Amino acid sequence: MSYNRGYGRRRNRDDDYDDRRRDVYESPEEKIRSLIIKFGDADAEQELPQVANQLRERALQSIPAVAEGFRIGVTEEPYKIPYYAALLRSLHQPTEESASSGSIAKQILDDFWKGFQSFLDKLAWREIRLCLHFFTHLTVAQVISPSSMLALLQAFTAVLEEFGVSHGRGKHAALCASEALMRAGRILKQYSAPEVTTLINIIQNYADSASSNKPLVAPIVLLHSPNKSVEGADELLDTVLIVLKALDAVNFEEPTSAYLEPYLNLPPLDTTVSPYYDLPSVLVPPEAIELENITGEGGEAGAQTQKKEEWPEYVIRLFDNDVTADHTSPAGYPVRTLISDIVDIFEVNRKECARLLLDLAKWTPPGTFKPRPGAPVQNGEETGKLWQLESCIIETILSKLCRLPDTVHKPMYYISLITELCKGSPQTVGPAVGKSIRKLYGLLADGFDVEVARRFTEWFATHMSNFGFQWVWKEWIPDLSLTSHHPKRNFIRRAIETEIRLSYHDRILKTLPEPFLAPEADALPEQAPGPEFDYDDPLRPHHDAAQSLLNLLRGRSKADDVIAHIETLKNNLVESSDGDVNVDQVIRSITMQSLLHIGSRSFSHFLNAIERYLPVLRSIATSADAKADILMSAVEFWRRNRQMVGIVFDKLMQYQIVDPSDVVAWAFTARGDARAGTIDAFAWDLVKGALDKANGRVLIAKKKVALLRKEEDDDRARAKAHQNMEVDGDTAPENQPSIDSPALTTALKANATLTREQKAVLSRTLNEFVNALSDSSSILSEKSWHNRVNWEDADWDLWETWGWYRNFCRVYAPYLDSYSTALSTVAFSKIEGSRDVAHVLLRNIWNISLGQEP
Amino acid sequence: MAHVVSSLDQPSNYKDSQARVDRQKQNDLLSKSSTLYIGNLSFFTTEEQIYELFSKCGSPEEGGGVKRIIMGLDRNTRTPCGFCFVEYYTNAEALACMRYVSGTKLDERVIRCDLDLGYKEGRQFGRGKSGGQVRDEHRQDYDAGRGGWGAQAQRMEMERRREVEERYADAQDGPGAVAGGGGDWKEASGGDQTLKRGRSPDDEGDSSRAGHRMKAEDPDIEPERM
Repeated sequence: MSYNRGYGRRRNRDDDYDDRRRDVYESPEEKIRSLIIKFGDADAEQELPQVANQLRERALQSIPAVAEGFRIGVTEEPYKIPYYAALLRSLHQPTEESASSGSIAKQILDDFWKGFQSFLDKLAWREIRLCLHFFTHLTVAQVISPSSMLALLQAFTAVLEEFGVSHGRGKHAALCASEALMRAGRILKQYSAPEVTTLINIIQNYADSASSNKPLVAPIVLLHSPNKSVEGADELLDTVLIVLKALDAVNFEEPTSAYLEPYLNLPPLDTTVSPYYDLPSVLVPPEAIELENITGEGGEAGAQTQKKEEWPEYVIRLFDNDVTADHTSPAGYPVRTLISDIVDIFEVNRKECARLLLDLAKWTPPGTFKPRPGAPVQNGEETGKLWQLESCIIETILSKLCRLPDTVHKPMYYISLITELCKGSPQTVGPAVGKSIRKLYGLLADGFDVEVARRFTEWFATHMSNFGFQWVWKEWIPDLSLTSHHPKRNFIRRAIETEIRLSYHDRILKTLPEPFLAPEADALPEQAPGPEFDYDDPLRPHHDAAQSLLNLLRGRSKADDVIAHIETLKNNLVESSDGDVNVDQVIRSITMQSLLHIGSRSFSHFLNAIERYLPVLRSIATSADAKADILMSAVEFWRRNRQMVGIVFDKLMQYQIVDPSDVVAWAFTARGDARAGTIDAFAWDLVKGALDKANGRVLIAKKKVALLRKEEDDDRARAKAHQNMEVDGDTAPENQPSIDSPALTTALKANATLTREQKAVLSRTLNEFVNALSDSSSILSEKSWHNRVNWEDADWDLWETWGWYRNFCRVYAPYLDSYSTALSTVAFSKIEGSRDVAHVLLRNIWNISLGQEP
Repeated sequence: MAHVVSSLDQPSNYKDSQARVDRQKQNDLLSKSSTLYIGNLSFFTTEEQIYELFSKCGSPEEGGGVKRIIMGLDRNTRTPCGFCFVEYYTNAEALACMRYVSGTKLDERVIRCDLDLGYKEGRQFGRGKSGGQVRDEHRQDYDAGRGGWGAQAQRMEMERRREVEERYADAQDGPGAVAGGGGDWKEASGGDQTLKRGRSPDDEGDSSRAGHRMKAEDPDIEPERM
């Protein structure tokens, strides 16, 4: 930034200067902390003796700062953990001067433990897990005693045997224990083989018991046999167990360690001079009980995030084992986990994250990754796994992007992280991205989950928009001969549509080879997206009526005048027609299309038009049929721009012209095109928009109620305290009933209304899905699936609808939970007791998603 | 987190140079802001392109989404001049854009996002001498996406331009020129009285008060940004 340009800035220059000066000043505590945080940034092996010396000199005066430095380093720079262990181990080694004052390492660990305990209290699982990594390295480094390490792990496996443990809690506890075992198993098994075996068995038992809802979140779907394992994706706990068992079989003595162990190069410790550190015993605290749910009164957003953890987690595999780290192998698992942790931790700064990831080879054992071409080969780097770093990174990020039902961070994070990686090293990351796209594209034909396919499309188009829309489309030309609604052709169409939205029609047209432009390819529309005002043509019926209305709207006439004019138009129409036209419908269409027409230039123009004439819209949106007509008119007007359909629907709901249920009804039944009655990605976006709108409103209403209630409780408490202070008791109304304020009453009423609406829209969606899928058993057999090359559009439409039904159940399970009985009784009444495969599957998916017996 | 690296969602040194509120108040507003200033746009980029990209950071399930987009216009010609405001319903969505969208490309230009104090009347217009943004006054390079330096913009771009030029010919100034985007859900039935009561205790009142204050302190509203 420049400090001299622009006169407007002068005023603030002094402030800025002060800021900079303040930043420079560091207290001794901050200095020692950042010494530890920055340790290893250049070359950890070389820095080690020097930093250890500095700490020996200065640590005793500020043990808490040192321990905090370690805590931050371990939990925010997990790639440095082995070196932090080596650093602490150096401090454990007595020197001549320090012999008198005892081990600094012990004092640091004492304080570090306090931090660990506070992570435990908050159940900050990632931090807990990374601290455990640190402890296990210290166990191997002979600083921590094997007995206390084992006891710590038993505290985590104890969680797995709790009655009714939630899956989120169980999964995290299992990962903590397992990953620790992978690192310290060698030492722990020497110490007590039976106890290690017991640990593994407990984890195994837990994984077996917790897998009932696996079929619903597998990224690759086989509707005919949901429990069959699929190639290319493994459940996380399953992979952990495969790794643990492989390690256990060789007593955790891998020929070359999967972990850096720099402390093994230090001189051996004399345990009589440097005794083992015993970790205190600990209990994993119980989860705070979530009394309120998100649909009842007063719930919090927290409930949803907690629910997200309730599902098994799948890991996607795109490349062969000799190309990228195989997460089911002892050497591959830690690499995938390290990448995954870095991606999560550095979410606040994707640029730094990308830089770190591209530099990852520095933090893994030599030979883990293939050296960059031309880079000097150091000792041990020519043999080993020699994986491709960039492919490992992209595979791990995409695996996180494909997590179901939801990603941890917004999909946009993973998308822009990959963009950043490509910018950082285009020659190496570019090819990895290209290969990954081809692999994912290949999965589309083999049951790739529809929601994951949707995210893949988003990623593809957004990624291309950052790199000049350069894709080798010609390799997909042969797929244009597939049936039109085949997942691959759906992908092509959606990807091009999204690219056009981010850019413009002619630009994208130029990037596509000739065969994609042929009308029968149906890959993109011939014309650029635009409005279609049906009453523009003077030869069309109602042209004059529409023109007269348009003139009023263009002249910014008052809403009342417009309403009066519409009434006149209606009367004229009634008189002139012979009763064969639905006059109301025509009037709604003319009005809606005219409003959209004056607002067709941009999103803002649309908002202005709608906002100015809200009374007009309200006057025509008087019934469910009327609302359906309004939606239909919008779809007709924007039939060449589906983005605008989504926008118009969203704002019509926002302005309360239509209800979310109206939108759901339209998406399923009223759309009147070739796909009516089924749900494709476009229709799902509309359904999702409606459900999210209803759920979001309830969330806001609840927050408002909670806030007002808290304020009032506080007021009452204050008033009461005040009363008690007044000795004069004759005026004090002793038993004043607690009446809610008008504001709270209104908020409660709103909450009740919105909750009803939420239930209505959820119910409507479920019913529509049941209707749409009741007659679909023909595509559900294994034989039919294997014959899918011969499927026609209608078969694929049904298959896709099944995909969105699964998605509906798993994404909205936390909301559906509160109404499950009421909703399912109504929706499934028609198919109650039926043995038809489709009917059984409908009920099974529902039950599994709500954690009930299938 | 953020001991090791700084977070990308911190406000930068961008500020509305004509805002008349003190630094403390500005920081306070920014920390709650749900509005973004978007810079380095091509003059040809449409609101729909902006909507498509920025809706990817929306959280409709938490009551969020793109509330409105205000296109920055040349004061004289009423054509887009390379910036806009994107207003969400929630602060978290704006922060997500700072982390994930700022510094990526839209319409093949690297765009920049900054937290903004919030749109107020007049800020949709450029503040440069010739009507556009100040940065385009003295620019030495040729930038086809921002009007080039002569009349030699590519023919393709010119065609798109004609469309764009007409689009905002009807832009108004003064109160009510820009739509609000729709407020929070309100009880529909029951007439005005319940409406008012429902509205009074929540933040809507606060923000309009803040708006009045700012306007009062800023009598000579000049167009946006230096």
